[in-house]
Amino acid sequence: MSELQAAIFGALSGSLFAVMALGLSLLWGFLKIINLAHFGMVLIGAYLTFEVATSTGLDPLLTVVIGAAAMFVLGAVVQAGFERWQVSEFNSLLISYGLLIITVQVVSNVWTADFQRMGTDVNPYGANSIRIGALSLPLPTLLAAGFAVVLVVAGKLVLERTYAGRALQAFGQDREIASAFGIDHRKLSILLAGMAGATAAIAGMLHALGESLHPDAPFEWVGRVFAIVILGGIGNLTGTLYAGLLVGAISGLTAAIWSPSASPFVVFSMVVLALVFRPTGLFPSKAVH
Amino acid sequence: MRNRGWIGLALVAVGLAVVPLLVEVLDLSTFYLVFLSGILFWTAQSTSWNILSGYSGYFSFGQGAFYGVGVYSMAVLFGRHGLDWLVALAIGGLLAMLLGLGIGFVAFRLRSLRGEIFALLTLAVPFILAALVRLSDTIDGGQGIVVPVPEFPEALGSFQSFFYVCSAVVGVFALTVAFVMERTRYGWALFAVRDDEAVAEGLGVPTFRHKMIAIAANGLIGGVSGAVFGLNLGFISVEGTFNLTVPLFVIVMSVLGGRNHWAGPMLGAVYIHTLQNRLADSGFEGWSLIVLGGILILLVVLAPEGLMARMRRRPWLVSGALVATLLGLGLWGGWGQPVDWLAVGLAAAVVVAFLPSKRRSGVTARARPSAAERLYEDETPGERGRPLVVAEGVTKDFGGVHALRGVSLTVSEGELIGLVGPNGSGKTTLVNLIAGASRLTAGTIAVDGTNLAGIPQHRVAHLGIARTYQIPRPFSTMTLRDNVAVAIMFGRDPHGLSEARAAAEEFLSLVGLDHLAAEYPGKVNLHERQLLEMARAMATRPSVLLLDEALAGLNPVEVDNAVRVVRRIHDSGVAIVFVEHVLRVVNQLATRIVVLDHGVLLAEGDPAAVMSDPAVVSAYLGKEGHARSH
Amino acid sequence: MLSVMTALLLVVAACGDGGAESTTTTGGGATTTQGGTDTTGGQSTTTSAAGPSGDPIVVGGTLPLTGGLSATGIIHQIAGQLFVDRLNEAGGLLGRPVEWNLIDDTSDGARIAELYEQLISQDAVDLIMGPYATPNILAAMPVAERHGFVLPQHTAVLAPALTYECQFPGWSIGPAPNEFIPNQLADLFDSMDGAVSTVALVTNEGGSTSFVSYGRPDVEEPSTSTILPERGYEVVADIPYPIGNTEWGPIAASLQDAQPDAVLVMGLGVEANGLIEAMQQVGFTPPVMFALFPAPGPLLGMGEASNGLLSVSMFEPNEPILADLDSELVEIIEEFSQRVADAGLPYTVFETQAAASWNAWSLLAQGVEGAGSLDHAAICDYLHENGADLPFAGQVSFDQEQNNFWPSNQVLKQIQDGDWVVVWPEDQAAAEPLAPTG
Repeated sequence: MSELQAAIFGALSGSLFAVMALGLSLLWGFLKIINLAHFGMVLIGAYLTFEVATSTGLDPLLTVVIGAAAMFVLGAVVQAGFERWQVSEFNSLLISYGLLIITVQVVSNVWTADFQRMGTDVNPYGANSIRIGALSLPLPTLLAAGFAVVLVVAGKLVLERTYAGRALQAFGQDREIASAFGIDHRKLSILLAGMAGATAAIAGMLHALGESLHPDAPFEWVGRVFAIVILGGIGNLTGTLYAGLLVGAISGLTAAIWSPSASPFVVFSMVVLALVFRPTGLFPSKAVH
Repeated sequence: MRNRGWIGLALVAVGLAVVPLLVEVLDLSTFYLVFLSGILFWTAQSTSWNILSGYSGYFSFGQGAFYGVGVYSMAVLFGRHGLDWLVALAIGGLLAMLLGLGIGFVAFRLRSLRGEIFALLTLAVPFILAALVRLSDTIDGGQGIVVPVPEFPEALGSFQSFFYVCSAVVGVFALTVAFVMERTRYGWALFAVRDDEAVAEGLGVPTFRHKMIAIAANGLIGGVSGAVFGLNLGFISVEGTFNLTVPLFVIVMSVLGGRNHWAGPMLGAVYIHTLQNRLADSGFEGWSLIVLGGILILLVVLAPEGLMARMRRRPWLVSGALVATLLGLGLWGGWGQPVDWLAVGLAAAVVVAFLPSKRRSGVTARARPSAAERLYEDETPGERGRPLVVAEGVTKDFGGVHALRGVSLTVSEGELIGLVGPNGSGKTTLVNLIAGASRLTAGTIAVDGTNLAGIPQHRVAHLGIARTYQIPRPFSTMTLRDNVAVAIMFGRDPHGLSEARAAAEEFLSLVGLDHLAAEYPGKVNLHERQLLEMARAMATRPSVLLLDEALAGLNPVEVDNAVRVVRRIHDSGVAIVFVEHVLRVVNQLATRIVVLDHGVLLAEGDPAAVMSDPAVVSAYLGKEGHARSH
Repeated sequence: MLSVMTALLLVVAACGDGGAESTTTTGGGATTTQGGTDTTGGQSTTTSAAGPSGDPIVVGGTLPLTGGLSATGIIHQIAGQLFVDRLNEAGGLLGRPVEWNLIDDTSDGARIAELYEQLISQDAVDLIMGPYATPNILAAMPVAERHGFVLPQHTAVLAPALTYECQFPGWSIGPAPNEFIPNQLADLFDSMDGAVSTVALVTNEGGSTSFVSYGRPDVEEPSTSTILPERGYEVVADIPYPIGNTEWGPIAASLQDAQPDAVLVMGLGVEANGLIEAMQQVGFTPPVMFALFPAPGPLLGMGEASNGLLSVSMFEPNEPILADLDSELVEIIEEFSQRVADAGLPYTVFETQAAASWNAWSLLAQGVEGAGSLDHAAICDYLHENGADLPFAGQVSFDQEQNNFWPSNQVLKQIQDGDWVVVWPEDQAAAEPLAPTG
């Protein structure tokens, strides 16, 4: 029983990492931007939730409106910069790393380097769970799973049903041809980066529901989130969600059966095997090759 | 140019050798030895990273693995088990090299390996290693290892100078490897891989072997450098070793300094390490990361190709600014310490490098002599001789689609075969198969008596097959001369870089491009790029040249010129398979015509006979209009 | 335009140091008369009423002001700065003002050696103060040894590895923390009338915590995992987890299966928070819960969930303890809290970390005053011969056989109604331990 419980715990917290990974995967897949600053936006989103909820008593879930709006703007501005200077894929990595460390420092200056945590008085979700029989589903990560599903479904609808979405897909596949068809790449990419920023804020809010905040946290996420992006297939939304659940479940199971220390070993070995045998991701989608 | 490089490397080596003297004479503190050792450590790490990732374009996030293996070898073998430190160092380097070879063996054999997949494979490796160390009781027991001070020759005086000497040896070794590679086949093979791996392989570059050499060098240097650095760490722990610092900073330093020059990563290391040191000590609490991040962003935006590229444009001014600032502040002596002067000097050098330049280094179009004038005009087709390519029952399926079914074809010495057929008839597929770029589903192809089954593509090139691409695929970061030189370096009659460069002129003049030798492919027109394809292919000294629609997209004047070049190549004794839509040209050139339709050989024979074959007329000519409109 | 900005940034970065003055704090010339004992230098003779004069004595050191360890790094920064300020108000060292040249080591152990080399040989500081956390202290130790500098430090746990004779701890869990901690815990459990008979060991694999749980890998020695069974407490679950672990659910599920009477989280920072929440989520509340080195603040914010949680402590400003305390120490505790609050930190109480800092600074000051000079050999000898009177540990002596780790004064504290309260041993307790729940 504890193995099943552990797998569920793992899968649910994997879905939180999947929410973090969504925006990263989109930008990488469609815009060829490896945006480390995305982690910084998750961090800001988390601290905004903490700040607003603690100072106004607003339900932390609702604070996401503020965070998402702010991070939409920030994401769009950063992308506008990338467009303005025609940044290449790996230079984007460098620039966004610069942005990330600036963000970490600013967060540390504003909210101190000490741990910050929403008290139980403002955060009714933190330690709560929904019980199904003997199994329990922790509320913070269950909410993360819910958000992940909603975001993926919404994202797929936008990508497949709207002109902007299809244009973006065309761009992800071949920039030159898409430009030839008169698609305005700049506007679209700024819009997409804004949306990715908003998902970062959502991920941040979800993180703040269950965890203590520390400015250095992004560096703890990087490995796992990248693993999920790759396993899911770069630019593949549903794949990202599945990869998050899978990585989480396996990590949880490994922790219960073998040892928590073995989790990273199993997860990253899986990444290597997946890359070797399924280089396009574990969950190929028709949308992006 | 070449000499200047050697002088640069020698200057670095001599400079490092006199540092201990300088420290003595100027009465500088031992800190400068440790500080420089830090720069040298980062130089070795980022240079070794750059040998693989900068030169070949395969970005690695796994430098931490090589570094970590080196550090841990030193800590476990020397620190914990008391082995001789030099033995531990050697084992560390060796293990890291083996790890590199292992990663390369898995990754570089993936047919569909893309850059980001490699990046992520390498990202996973340090995480796996870290987890292994944690899980294992025998490595460090999970609590970290204290590394004692090793015994060193007394002549070196202090541990600091011992550590400096070790770091300097490793640093200079790394730079020398990078430098030598940049001037030999080893580096140029990687440059070709970076620009276009498939083309490189087709020209005879053993890409797998060279990537393996690069990743082995990366591992070896990374490991040895890590092992040396471990001596100064005092205490080794998993989380202190396998974190993101090393993998991220080697990228930051190399990209900032410039990936296309052996000294680029060193430059990045000097800048970043000095900056970090000064920021830590600056008292800008709460600002250091903001300043570091800001500088990083500005420099990448300003100099996307790296500082080295900027500074090389005015080397004297830049080094003058650095030296003048250092000397000025030093002689004045009224402010700061030498490391502060260095920081200001580096800042001055950047400013000078970025000052706007009045001279535009743009391309000045020179008047070109008509290439056509210097080409032969005679039209004697060669005699048919010994068979060079024998294809039998060639079948190729893509999924469920039969691209080729049972095609047999022989190309003999002296032939100029026109391979024609409507779109999708399998012409390019056949060219790919003969060039060894893809594998047969059934049938055999033999080149000069050697069956191609299981032979890597570059070996096919060495058997005497060369090809061009319908859409030219030049190595975009190399001049036209170097494009051809690479082909010579790895062709059937291989040469070193300088000989190859000299010989390249010959092949460029064969196609009438000699006047553009120093130009980059991006600056020449489509026709010239197609001629470059031919020159490059000829430079491998093939016996059979496969021309895939070499006339596509050309205007009539250019077509005529290209035809003359093809004829000239043919006259030099090379058999040619000429894939073409323009029947006028095929009729005029070919000694024999082969017609494909829906993957089946429809007809072959001399031009006049084939063109009057009723089957050809109905199957092919009926569709010609459609095909040409494409 | 951009290039000008870059240049400016670079120049700003370069000039920031400006001759190593900007980070340091010079003691004001103000004369302060202080009653009672001089807490900064136990045997001092030269201080008291006269203001410091002459060239400043510079103390160099690094702390993690950014990066993963910064949450605790800033506590040591504030505590150390407060010490230096008060020291200068009280006349400085050897009659000279004291400056602290503090460098941010960015929590990166790989930079420690270079930075200490810089402080000692380049910046030519007179004295040094150790960095924060065991790995970094171990990295600084060989540099100090090479230059013959006395290395006072506040937070090293891996006592057997700190072999340098002139390394002096301001916090000691004795020479064998791996034995002291489980024995103290077992003593407490013994007093609980059989409420605890089974325990679960949940251990962070980092050096210090793993050492307490399992001892050193190469040495057969008692540790928590062997001592507790010997003393009659069965270990029903033994779960190591990696540093930086964020997944507590699976561990909580295993604990629920094992149903131990006491869960011992041999972890750091907010790890105990994560585990407690996960245990709540699976509906398992162990009767007794212990966390080794938690961040004190965040646990208090958990309300009922963390009530009764035990941890180790060197000092807690509980009412009964404060009542017995020297008035000057009370003043220090209050001023510290004020400064922490001014810095905007959420948890402002002067506790173990700050006390450890204070002790380390204090023993350095006493060593210098006692030796009467800045000669490191003399300071080192003086401390070995005379020990030190540590404000938050009392008179201690430094035995080289024990790597200078003095007999521990560590106690057990417990969260009671939103405050940390010392509950064990009985003679030092500020309150009775809460009865085990459930």
